[in-house]
Parts: sequence; structure tokens; C-alpha cells
Amino acid sequence: MKTQIHPVSASVIAAGWVGPSLTPNEEAPWAEADLPFNCDDLVQRVLGQPMRRAGRFIKMVCAGAMTCLQAAPPGALQNRKTGIFLATGLGNGDEILPFVTQVFKHDGGFPSPNQFANSVSNAAAFFLARQCDVRGVILTLSDEELSFESALWLAQSYLRSGEIDLALVGGCDVYTPTVEEYRERMYVHPDNARALPIGEGSSWLLLGADPARRIGELHFVLMQPKAGASEDVLAAGLAAAEKVTSANRRVWLPGFRLLHPEAPAGWDCRDYLPCCGIHPTAAAFGLARALRAERDALVIHAGVSSAGKKALIAASTI
Amino acid sequence: MNEAAVYIRGWGAVSTLGWSAGDSARRLLAGDVRSAGLCSSSHLVKSEFKAFEVPFDGDPLSKSLAMLDRSMTEAFERGGLSPEEIADSCLLVGTTGGLFIRNEYEFTEFVRQNPDKESPPISCRNRGPGEATEFIAEKYGIAGMTFTLSMACVSSAHALVVALGLLRQGVIRRAIIVGFEPLLNMTLHGFASLLLYDAERCRPFCNTRMGMQIGEGSACIILEAGAGPLASSAGSRYEFLGGYLYNDNTSLTSAGTDGEMVKAVVEEALGRACVTAQDIVAVKAHGTGTRDNDLSEGRGLKKVFGESLPPVISLKGALGHGLGAAGAVETAVWLSCLEEGSLPASFGFSEPDPDIGFAPSTVNLPVRNGCYLFNFFGFGATCTSYVIAKRQADSFGRLWTSL
Repeated sequence: MKTQIHPVSASVIAAGWVGPSLTPNEEAPWAEADLPFNCDDLVQRVLGQPMRRAGRFIKMVCAGAMTCLQAAPPGALQNRKTGIFLATGLGNGDEILPFVTQVFKHDGGFPSPNQFANSVSNAAAFFLARQCDVRGVILTLSDEELSFESALWLAQSYLRSGEIDLALVGGCDVYTPTVEEYRERMYVHPDNARALPIGEGSSWLLLGADPARRIGELHFVLMQPKAGASEDVLAAGLAAAEKVTSANRRVWLPGFRLLHPEAPAGWDCRDYLPCCGIHPTAAAFGLARALRAERDALVIHAGVSSAGKKALIAASTI
Repeated sequence: MNEAAVYIRGWGAVSTLGWSAGDSARRLLAGDVRSAGLCSSSHLVKSEFKAFEVPFDGDPLSKSLAMLDRSMTEAFERGGLSPEEIADSCLLVGTTGGLFIRNEYEFTEFVRQNPDKESPPISCRNRGPGEATEFIAEKYGIAGMTFTLSMACVSSAHALVVALGLLRQGVIRRAIIVGFEPLLNMTLHGFASLLLYDAERCRPFCNTRMGMQIGEGSACIILEAGAGPLASSAGSRYEFLGGYLYNDNTSLTSAGTDGEMVKAVVEEALGRACVTAQDIVAVKAHGTGTRDNDLSEGRGLKKVFGESLPPVISLKGALGHGLGAAGAVETAVWLSCLEEGSLPASFGFSEPDPDIGFAPSTVNLPVRNGCYLFNFFGFGATCTSYVIAKRQADSFGRLWTSL
């Protein structure tokens, strides 16, 4: 199957993230052994009020997305049809696991109804939609470590169709104990992922046709769904990206399953993973961070799934 | 022929009524329907919940994978898809549990076989809903884009509408939409904890309704842009005319009992399908049997159709609530009913609810060419509504164009 490239010409209006240290838009250190941190202070700081009856996943989704929106010009969403595209590889494990543990370990037990309602992955998108008063296209996508790429691709198609003016696209996955089980849930082994700490994050982009207020441009998302396909989507994407940007610098963001993360000749490698740790939607962190930090650069994120599928995101900064 | 037209090329389903959409439809139309029974699957930690199980002689993991395989195979065979066409398709899977059944089965088997050992962690191998999509793409050689929509009870219904948009844009040529939801302890106990179960039976739109009952299922629907081959030997063609997905942010668990949201969603779906309320031959309602859902939907439908309400039918009294698979399963079984020449009756209804103001159809009705409305609602204030038209080709293969 020939790779199809659909340039989106979507401006990146804002980017923001919360990494495993729960510090908005900053790279503070953390340790695997210290996870999970309590994120109530983060919620208070970002949202200005506590979130009751919500677990860490929902809080992280909302805090990360609102961090992004707070970086947008005031009133950016006003009178604009906005879609929300939440990507998550593992979903709301933070509430699923205690719920099923109650069910299985205690002979049915007394599982929490609130925990069950929240455990449905799209509950987090609901709470976010309420936070930023968005209605309409609100989708939750869960495609393992290519979840963020899938969400970005779909958001780009919705923007192109005109159904929405803006797309709030983000990835969120949260740590659930233990480190070993978390690695197993992500299917992270020494032979299919780099040897890096695990982490978590909630990283978001606000996209739309708004050239006057952009911090960058999302050019396209390429996905080579079939593992082992003869065509090299990464090579095709690199060639295509060179044609759609005039940026002077080249920045390479390698995903956590790229066992050889070295950048192609002429590209600067920005290994973002030491700043956020391995989690299924880490690509969102890498891209959001690059869009905030890099100047006049073509930015490529290269991802590979455990099954060998490849994905490439091409963006540029101004 | 409108180039943007999207047709249903094939479909298949496994439900409590049968291991194919055709068998399910025939039993449904024959009235060979039983109420939900106490569950017997070996992975369930409690057997006191009633549900609509798929009959199978074997373990629950093997059953779930067999359900998936039968529904996919039926759809591929009905649509006459070649391996090349399957490969050249986009896959959209709507599921909440994905392959979580594997964790539940392995856990309960371990405990059963090792009564003296400490039980292992329950979910250590669950990689999220996308694992099911990866499994399907690999098993059937689907080489196009893959998406997993994890949107609670509208998962596969949303997937159908998302697929329609991608087909209309021309960014994909063909979409394979799968709804997959094996019976899980997680969901049985979850809905019980919310007090949303009807311990007796599922009674959609009935004044005596007390809640929902889960029905496991798997279904596959194939959508294709342009003029594909006729989808049935009877010469019918099914066009996916239009749909609307909408997510509100008012209530996590209700679409609003005044019916206003349902009205708005249905009207938008009709508009996008370029039809009017008068064009609708019948409504495949979501009709879960919960107090709030049926009130929301019933009032919404009354506001849209007024006194001209066409027959309203809920399949959940016969199939149960398929959760994320409901959209695909109910659409597939409905299409097979159309092929059989009859619209099915609603089961479980006995007494009109004055707050709803109408009774669902409780008898089989003859099929007409025209437009059928499908509704689905779910957790997270998610709403999906779409319109499918049945058209009949004459002996020269020309379609009746009037609705």
C-alpha cells in the first residue's frame, strides 16, 4: 500500500504539557520509585479548584490540556467549533485497576460506582470538555503506542473537513503500580524499547487555521499501518517534509521503540524521553516540548510500535 | 450516482440469538427470544447477574475470539471481499473492554487451578483497547489505517460515523468497522454498582422498566465509497446516508431527560443525511430499559416526529446491551432483518409510560424501501444518530431512487 500524504496546513496555536514530576511545561526530575505523585496541588494550580471524585488519569488529562490552553491567546476557543481528541494507550488504569481488584480479590466486593463510571476512557474527555466548555466532536482513541499519532491524524481530517475550526489534541497515560507491571502493560522489553525510565504525562496541542497566532505548523502525520511493508514511511516522510517547510534547522525526535535513535545526517537529535519517561503517548510530550522550545526548525517525530508499524509526525516552528 | 455516496458492502454479527447476523435476525423475527439468564461462563466470579450470553461450548477466551472471527468472516463473505480488498481497507474498532477478557479468564483459571496460592495481579497483561485492533489487523491482513474508539456505549456507532466522514473526504476507500464486547466481570459489576440493572428483564420504553441488561456480541460492518456491488442476493442496496456524533458536557451519565439533546442530535443527523422526519420508515432506538435513557430518547423522538412517529423498535430486550459493540451489532442484525423482509418487534414491553407517550412496536412489520434511523447514547454524554436507506434494484440492476 502506497503511503498517502495529506498535508493539513494546520497552525499550532499552543502547546503544553505536564510530565511525571507534575510541573507544567517544565522538565523537573523524577524517580520511578517515587511514582505516583499526588496531583491535587497541580490541579489546584492549573484549574484553580480541586477536582473531586476523579482519579489521577482524569486529573492529568484536564491539567495537561488546560496547561496547553493557558498558553493560547485569550479567547482562543471563543466562537470557534472545537474538537477534543484524547489519545491514551492504557486508558484510565488508575481507576480500572482498583475497581477490578475489588471485584476479583474480594469475591465481588463493593466496587465503587464512581470509579466504574470514571474508568470508561472517554469519561476523562467529558471532564475536560466541561472544563473548557466544549461540545460536539470529542473522541477518545486508544491505539497503544501510536495513539497520539492516530488522534493527530484524525484531528487533521476533521480540520480539513471543516467540521471543526480548532482541535485540542493530546496524549495522556498515567503510571499505575508496580514499575514491572506498568512495563508489562506497555509491552516494554529490552528487545523492543530503549533502556530508559518509565514515566507518565499529559501533553497537548491546540491546532487550527490561525496563522496570526501560531507558534508552529503541523504539516502532516504519516502512518505505515502494516508492519514490514516494503515502503519506508520514515524516509518518505522526511523527503516530503523537506518540501513543505523553509525552516533552517532540523530536529529529530525519536520514539521509545526506536532502538537506534540516532538522527539522520544533518539533523539534531532531541531525545525527550529522559524528560518524560516511557509511556504510550510520550510522542505528545516530545512534540509539545519541541514546539515550545525550538525556533525556525523542521521537527520530525519518528515512532514505531511493538508490532513494527511506523509513524511520522512532521511539524515546524517559527 | 453521487461519488460521495457510501454503501454498506457487507455485515456480520454474533449475538445471543445466533452465530451470524442472519441467524440472529431469523430467531428474532420468529419470536424465538429468551429473557436474559443467569450467567454460566467460567470466568465470572459471581453468577447472580443476568445477561444475554452467547452460547458456546468452551472457555470464554476461545468464545470471544470465535465471536470475532465469525462476525468478520460473515461480513467478508457477504460483501465478497477479496484478500486484496481486505488489505486495502481502514479498520475502526469500537470497544471498551478490548481483550480484557483474556486477563479475566487467565486470572480466574489461575485461581481455580491454584486454590492454595496467592492470586496474581489482575490486569498485568492488559495493553488497552488498541490491543484488540492490533490483533484484528494482523489476523485478517488489514493493512490500512487503524483506529480504536473507546467511547463507552457509542464506541462502534461513533466509529461508523467517523468512517463515513473519512470515506466522504476520500482519504480512505473502504472501512471495516468492528464492534467487540465480550461479557466481562468488570462491566457486570460496574453497572450493578450504579444500580442500573434490571434484575428481572430488560424492558425498553416500558413503564415498569428498571434498568439494562448486558448482552455480549461482536459485529463487523463494511462501508465503501462509490457504487459497490449489491449487498444482497435479494438485490437490495443499503446506503449510509449520513450521521452525526455529538458529545455534551452537562452530565456524565444522562442525555437530559427533557429530550432536547436527543432532538437536536436526531435533527442534525437527518439534516446531514438530507432527509426529513417524514422520510423515516422506522427507528432503531437505543432503548436500554433504564429510566433516564428511555425517557430522554422517547421525549426526544416525540419532539422530532410529533404525531407522525414511525414504528420505534429497541433490540435490547432480545439482544441485551452490547455496550461498545451495540452500534455494530444492532445495525448488522437490523440489516439482516431487512433482508428477511420484516422489521422485528421490541421485546420486554408491556405497559406504556405516560411520560414517554408512545409504545414501541411489539409486532413484526413488513419492510419498506426507505430510510431507517439508528440511535445510540452512552456514558460521557455521547450521542450518535445515523440514517441508512434501503433501496431495491430492479431486474436491470437499476435502483429505486425515491425514498
